[in-house]
Amino acid sequence: MKEMDAQGLKALALQCRFELSDDEAQDIKNEFDVLISQMRLLEKIDTEHVEPMVYPFESASHFLREDVVENVLPIKEVLKNAPKQKNGFFVTQKVVG
Amino acid sequence: MDIKALIAQTSIEQRIEDAIKKSHAVQASLNAMVSFIDPKDQVEKLKHRSKDLPFYGVPVILKDLVNMKDTRTTGSSGILDNYISPYDATITQKLKEAGAIIIGKSSCDTFGMGGTNMTAWTGPVANPYDVSRMSGGSSGGSAVLVASGVVPMAIGTDTGDSIRKPASYNNIVGLKPTYGRISRYGVIPYASSLDHVGVFTRNVKDAALSLEVLAGRDDNDMTSSYNLVEKYSEKLIGDLSGKRIGIIQNVLDSFHNQDTLNQFNELVHKLKTRGAIITPIHLNEDLMHAFLPTYYIIANAEATANHANLDSLRFGVLKEGQTMDETMIQSRTEGFGKLLKKRFVIGSYALFTENQEEVFRKAQKVRRLIVDDIKRVLSEVDVIMAPASTQGAPKFDDASVDQLSSEYLIAENYMALANFSGYPSITVPMGYVEGLPVGVNLTAYAFEEMNLLDIAYGIENTTGLANCIKEVTQ
Repeated sequence: MKEMDAQGLKALALQCRFELSDDEAQDIKNEFDVLISQMRLLEKIDTEHVEPMVYPFESASHFLREDVVENVLPIKEVLKNAPKQKNGFFVTQKVVG
Repeated sequence: MDIKALIAQTSIEQRIEDAIKKSHAVQASLNAMVSFIDPKDQVEKLKHRSKDLPFYGVPVILKDLVNMKDTRTTGSSGILDNYISPYDATITQKLKEAGAIIIGKSSCDTFGMGGTNMTAWTGPVANPYDVSRMSGGSSGGSAVLVASGVVPMAIGTDTGDSIRKPASYNNIVGLKPTYGRISRYGVIPYASSLDHVGVFTRNVKDAALSLEVLAGRDDNDMTSSYNLVEKYSEKLIGDLSGKRIGIIQNVLDSFHNQDTLNQFNELVHKLKTRGAIITPIHLNEDLMHAFLPTYYIIANAEATANHANLDSLRFGVLKEGQTMDETMIQSRTEGFGKLLKKRFVIGSYALFTENQEEVFRKAQKVRRLIVDDIKRVLSEVDVIMAPASTQGAPKFDDASVDQLSSEYLIAENYMALANFSGYPSITVPMGYVEGLPVGVNLTAYAFEEMNLLDIAYGIENTTGLANCIKEVTQ
């Protein structure tokens, strides 16, 4: 299990698209040391031939419905929360040259 | 007074006015509300409907993760501080159909991530039994609003124990039903494989009634169940004779607080005299020590993925930069509190390519072993039971916890077993330790809500702790 220093934590944060201040990184680093110790408790559990459990129940409750558009929110309603909008679209900075 | 009696004995106007007045009156002391909703339109619409509706004109509160059209839903976060719901969650619709009047949104740990309610964007929520103590979390706002008599029912969500722990600290009932029993459509997620919607009430009968109203299949939530919804509230008897109750011995063995143990043992003795068959059960100790890290890994990994959509480009508070990437980074940096950042860093660590097998997949495998172990013990008893917390609500500044001790890893965090397994679980009041309430928790096999509620009802009859209200003086 890889140990993390404050710089490593800052890099992880940036991958998640936010920044950590030096103080925040150090605080998380201190808590991370405890967390790594807790995570090591998993190492002594034998999980050979055990399948990962993704959801509590493995009987299917989903189905493929007809490919028909339904339960659509009006564009006007959805765009009410957009910080910037124009002609029914979200507006952001240019992303292609 | 239960909800049925409240409807029979008061007018709509009276109960709504009382609730609104109280919700404002306790705000300075408890800080439990994030937003207040003007109920006028809801009350007006109700005038043309049947008075036999199960929640006819009953004031209720939603945890601030639940969407209700044209109201603020912030998740108690900074980044969604300005978010207005464009639609109703399924449970919001169901409550409206049942005649409930939604009067506000309650504070929680940001996006349900936490056990203290001290990370809410609007500040910590206080406990009505002692305002220098925490409400518990993450559904702390809902818990204290029920405990202080503002509303008879409030919605919570539970990913680790976020309904059942605050219920313990606040002397009320907290029900987390089986995974998929209540639709999560329109509820801001934390961790999709562990999240449940549930309720806080002041008695078991109201919890049963609430479940009848909220449960059922919803095609908008493909994890919701087709299983039949029973008339839980009508079938409650509370006869404990012959009921098999397994006491989780590992939890008791890791306890330090003798007063809580004495309360629990006293309750067990009373249950025996009422005919319950009490059996000590032992879960695998190594697996129990692994509950909390397994939970942290899975929950935070799922949370990191779920909240990748918080970019402030389509919704949320925008902090504009020179480029789209810079805008996203600035908005997330300023809109996330310290706890959220910590959780996402942990989640990102678990999902890091070189850690995926060793950390994330390992945790999912351990989860299966944990659930197999729970199934083993529940094959021999109707419910498993233990105190829902080691003590009353901690002080806000309590930093005495040793996070590697058995007491912390097992006794304070064992209730996540019902999230790993998806099994129904309920906390009901047990008694008082040093003047503070402490609850007892019960968990049953999947979809055994009827049996679970009936045993809880029997315990409530034994303790006499139904309908407790702690009035808050300003």
